[in-house]
Amino acid sequence: MTRALLRTLAILAALAFTLVPILWMISMAFKPFAEWQASGADLTWWPKAPTLDNFRYLFGLGTNELISMLDRTAMKPILSSLLSASVGTLIAMTCGTAAAYGLSRFGSGQNLPLALIQLRLFPPMAVMIPVMMMWAFLGLMDTWFGLALVYGIVTLPFAFWLMKTFFDDMPREIEEAALVEGCTRWRVFTRVTLPMMAAPLAAAALFVFILNWSDYLIALLLTTREWVTIPVYMASLSSSMTGQLYGAKAALGLIAAVPPVVLGVLIQKHLVRGLTFGALKQ
Amino acid sequence: MSAIHLKSLVKRFGPFTALKTMDMEIADGEFMALLGPSGCGKSTTMNMIAGMEAPTEGRILFGDRDVTQVPMGQRGVGFVFQNYAIFTHMSVRQNLDYGLRMKGVDPGPKTAAMAELLGLTDLLDRPSAGLSVNILQRLAIGRSAIMEPAIFLLDEPLSNVDAAFRAVMRTELKALQRQFRQTMVYVTHDQLEAMTMADRIAVMDHGVLQQVGTPLEIYDRPANTFVASFIGSPAMNLIPGEIRGGAFTAPGVEIPGFAAADGPVTLGFRAEDAQVAASGEIQAPVYSMELLGDSSMATLQLGSKSFAAIKAAKDFKVEIGENLAVRAPARICHLFDAQTGQRLSGAKP
Repeated sequence: MTRALLRTLAILAALAFTLVPILWMISMAFKPFAEWQASGADLTWWPKAPTLDNFRYLFGLGTNELISMLDRTAMKPILSSLLSASVGTLIAMTCGTAAAYGLSRFGSGQNLPLALIQLRLFPPMAVMIPVMMMWAFLGLMDTWFGLALVYGIVTLPFAFWLMKTFFDDMPREIEEAALVEGCTRWRVFTRVTLPMMAAPLAAAALFVFILNWSDYLIALLLTTREWVTIPVYMASLSSSMTGQLYGAKAALGLIAAVPPVVLGVLIQKHLVRGLTFGALKQ
Repeated sequence: MSAIHLKSLVKRFGPFTALKTMDMEIADGEFMALLGPSGCGKSTTMNMIAGMEAPTEGRILFGDRDVTQVPMGQRGVGFVFQNYAIFTHMSVRQNLDYGLRMKGVDPGPKTAAMAELLGLTDLLDRPSAGLSVNILQRLAIGRSAIMEPAIFLLDEPLSNVDAAFRAVMRTELKALQRQFRQTMVYVTHDQLEAMTMADRIAVMDHGVLQQVGTPLEIYDRPANTFVASFIGSPAMNLIPGEIRGGAFTAPGVEIPGFAAADGPVTLGFRAEDAQVAASGEIQAPVYSMELLGDSSMATLQLGSKSFAAIKAAKDFKVEIGENLAVRAPARICHLFDAQTGQRLSGAKP
């Protein structure tokens, strides 16, 4: 009995540790200015007068007399994040999957796969300044596709290694069975291998997308004004009169949480299967 | 319909030789079992027939057609894998008519007919992912059989299914082959499967073809000690000893009536051929007794490391350590060369 009670308490404590900040953000997003401002005397758990003011403010639809109107709305950063993160994910997944399949089925030796993981051995920041210069030269600075390209390159090793493990675990006999029946290699790959890999593909894609979606440093260096992403934009949410705009930040944080959560829920069925793919096979 | 000719086939993987110069003829419409322990080269042989692996040397002919360089998709063979290789993202029906659809042929009533034959009718539109191992193996056989390949290759198809279902499938596979008259090559390490289904058996070991023959030939006249010990349950008793003046002698054993020359030999006889009697050629203490159900098995200890199994009636009672006399006349015995293990003439008439 005491054991069960202790267990429950421990679980509650752990949950509080992880969930309270998120709940705090949700609560904050719906608070009017008076309730979230730093100098507010009466900080409350739940908004006393729930409002969508913070969201309106973000999209330039309304403001408070104490905060000046934003010179740019959250619209463009959201678009920038969506475009760069999803195109970056597409690049990483396409190249990573193709490379992983090729090396898993026809490759020999470990040098090439290890060379790919070495991309991750030194921090992206170490190469970002040179990349920044190259991008400036190529005219890719402050563009969503310039950012997407870097995201694709930086997350490629993850996509590659995840997919390679999955391909290695897939029984080759399944492909051979299709080959014996007269399929071409390409057809086997598109009609048999990829559909059977749907779960692992979805899991890897989500993982890569979240990495791209939450990047701050690369976006900070490679975008300046037009195509800043949500994290960079969020950092700029402050005003000279009131300091940090916590309400607006919380509202933006809530918006930023939507795509990963929605994607996660959509592919939840595949996710569990995908992340345990290797384990279940053995 | 097609015969298969393997001509001086060699397969090496780097320094390892998986198959040493294999020559074999498989007749049109024949059920040939490739039998041997793991790593004997039987699956390698099969993969080369299917075209999944290219031989290092030698040629493969289907009838008059040299297929050595033909890619596997164009050889027109059916292949059933040990782990079924079912496309789990498709339904049973989609799996069954996959090959036909790939060839651009309308499956028409063939799918239903094949499903009927294999008892899969009720499952046709079910997803194949959650089906039992037994059903999956049937489906794998159906998926290949529906193409009506002239050559049907099966790689240990029954080793993952449960024992009761294995017996059913043995009968069904044999019936399937009678119906379609394909040339069937069946890889297995289970001598019972090979004995019950095959027209002929090819016994392999360490990449070398040991003997090819009908099940009865292999059972009655094993070419060497490996075949003798691999075929039959229990394995043939092999007793090292020597021939002196036409009689075989070993500790506890004295069998006259051989025509072989004097010298060291290995004697072989089957447990089911020997009989417990009041007196006999073998006199030795009982090492263990096992009840098998329809009979029992006595193991005698001959010398320090040599044993012999003898089949006895199921109600046969004997104390461990007691001396037992066994009739094992020369006509039930085989003689093998003590060094090479090859069969010697002058044993069984």
